[in-house]
Amino acid sequence: METSDRLIRALQWVWVGFAFFLVGGIIIWIVHLIRTSWSLDDTLSASIGISLVAIPIFLVFMGVVFYVFWGVAVHGRER
Amino acid sequence: MVEIDDLHERTLLAPIAHTGRGFYWAVAGLSLLILWGVLAYLVQFSEGLGVTGLHQPVSWGFYVTNFVFFIGISHAGTLISAILRLSKAEWRRPITRMAEVITVMVLFIGAGQILIDLGRPDRLMNVIRYGRYQSPLLWDATSISAYMTASLTYLYLPMIPDIAILRDRLGKRKLLYSVLALGWTGTEHQQRVLNRAIAIMAVLVIPIAISVHSVVSFVFSMTLQPMWHSTIFGPYFVVGAIFSGIAALIVAMILFRKAYGLQDYLKPIHFRYLGQLLLIMALLWFYFTFAEYLTGYYGAEPEEMKVFWAKFTGPFWPFFWGMVLCNFIIPISCLVSLSRHTIGKVLAASLSVVVGMWLERFIIVVPTLSFPRLPFPQGIYSPTWVEWGETAGSFGIFALFYLLFTKFFPIISIWEIREGREGVKEVEERLISYLPGEIEEKT
Amino acid sequence: MALWGMVIDLDRCTGCQACVMACKAENNVPAVGAKEAKRGRIISWMQVLTETDEEHHGEKTRFIPRPCLQCDDPPCTKVCPVYATYRNPDGIVAQIYARCIGCRFCMAACPYNAKYFNWHTYQTEKPGQNPDVSVRPKGVVEKCTFCHHRLQKARERALAEKRDFDPNDYVTACAQACPAQAIVFGDLSDPTSAVSKLAASPRAFKLLEELGTKPKVIYLSEGEGRG
Repeated sequence: METSDRLIRALQWVWVGFAFFLVGGIIIWIVHLIRTSWSLDDTLSASIGISLVAIPIFLVFMGVVFYVFWGVAVHGRER
Repeated sequence: MVEIDDLHERTLLAPIAHTGRGFYWAVAGLSLLILWGVLAYLVQFSEGLGVTGLHQPVSWGFYVTNFVFFIGISHAGTLISAILRLSKAEWRRPITRMAEVITVMVLFIGAGQILIDLGRPDRLMNVIRYGRYQSPLLWDATSISAYMTASLTYLYLPMIPDIAILRDRLGKRKLLYSVLALGWTGTEHQQRVLNRAIAIMAVLVIPIAISVHSVVSFVFSMTLQPMWHSTIFGPYFVVGAIFSGIAALIVAMILFRKAYGLQDYLKPIHFRYLGQLLLIMALLWFYFTFAEYLTGYYGAEPEEMKVFWAKFTGPFWPFFWGMVLCNFIIPISCLVSLSRHTIGKVLAASLSVVVGMWLERFIIVVPTLSFPRLPFPQGIYSPTWVEWGETAGSFGIFALFYLLFTKFFPIISIWEIREGREGVKEVEERLISYLPGEIEEKT
Repeated sequence: MALWGMVIDLDRCTGCQACVMACKAENNVPAVGAKEAKRGRIISWMQVLTETDEEHHGEKTRFIPRPCLQCDDPPCTKVCPVYATYRNPDGIVAQIYARCIGCRFCMAACPYNAKYFNWHTYQTEKPGQNPDVSVRPKGVVEKCTFCHHRLQKARERALAEKRDFDPNDYVTACAQACPAQAIVFGDLSDPTSAVSKLAASPRAFKLLEELGTKPKVIYLSEGEGRG
């Protein structure tokens, strides 16, 4: 049915959006901690060092999630 | 429509389609454990951490032990699923889903242990707002967040084709499965996308998992305390985590094999291979333990030797030698010969290792704190009903969530089994290509 | 900026624990009660550790008054996840009770066991306490602060009286109370102060110096036969 199909699509976007917000939120949090340590002058090196590893990893997660969503849900509609 | 293979899927979908009385009994039993844990925490929240057995100098006890223990078990999923997938080991197929679910569930329980251990859990937001990356606890927070995200993704992606089967076959919860299946229809394009994504996650999740337990060990090794400040802690904890993870996985497999009648899918050969892995990890664990204690003993630094003798002959000797018995003696004697009574032996070894690894975490945390460097008045740590209740409740929540998962999603990956069955010719060709001789032409 | 430190002469210390009592009164350190004390939860910012002599068992005891040693390279501040303990510009390792989440990592990291935890709500605000010192709630870590509130009061008094701050106006409760004058407090960065001169004594030693914590409480060992 049309309406339930659209509802499912909408919920799938919500589902992916939730994943984005989660991962994006963590990245924003790490950046916030870098800024805090810079303003308090408290081992900025530790924050930078860890974020250099952590942020790319989280970006890869976002990329993978979006890649799957795009490849399966959006583009995979062809029969 | 997804291709359906009636006979085999009926077994794997049966737990989702029907619910027997055993399920309700299990839920009731687990709920009692959880109730004990909830009561314990409510008392602790209102009265303070004083209701536990903690004191000065032993200000870390059961909760931190449980934290390390549960995070350790999470390595089950990564090892089995990711490493076996990358090394193209065909026997992993019925096991991967169970392993991945353990990882996800146990990570939340493990992280929760730290929350329970806080004196002011109402101030948890302070870690978010004012976190300091010089503190190993923040390293923990970051790497465990990464691992949670990675393992959730790594659990969800291979589930998509199975969810599509549920969407088409099951009849109930159609909306949930339709949303989660992301419109999976099994086309070539979709399969290529999914396989590539799973491969990326498999490669990524291994270093993250190793970093998680290394960072958990750094909570101890970054301090200056005797028998904590040791460079071996990082690899030691990772080895211990993989060890306890395999054991927990085997226990879960045997339980669900019995409960859901999965004897056709989880055969003695699977347990034999896992048992051999467990044996290797037991030997590896023993090597690390031996290296750690020999180094301490040979150097004979007085403050380290105080803790050393406390473990070997002092107040902690039952726990230390119990750990050696459970982690080394029993597993070795059970696992050396797995041709007969495979499942029984492997079960005995795994249960023993689960207990032994918990003792190992306890032996790391408590004796060092019990023997401070300065002549501080000492006390014996004796946990109260609150700590026992919290431990029981944690196991209960883990088991309950695991059980509920099996009611919503297939606990054995249907499409991976099918892929394995359909890919026998490819595997045969691959195996032949390893051998010297004529090179098979690729068609 | 000043570098506040302390010298404790073990030859003068009689183990009377007047310093402990003065500290408890000054800093609203709670009396946890007999039951809690038996469970090992006494809070004693200044604590007198007793060490029996190895050669003369049961005959000679050494009394070591141990406040927080206010390390210049503190292992406790490194591991705090929320900046609830930090080394302030005066050299004092401060404790922010309102920030502390009670993870007790600093307690596990301190090699001197100088940190204490409020396992219950041991006291609430009531008359008879020192109004200059906050009363700690349950679930937070506390420790000796070199009576930092007295430093603040002395500085404010100097400001109000429009004169320079005199280091002699600031003394900790334990140093003030010791009847044997075993505890001397002052500015280690001032080479003319009594602490600096005593710290240069040949009898001076630091507890667990090999750990590199750079403590600012220096002990003077006993006379002949020891040290």
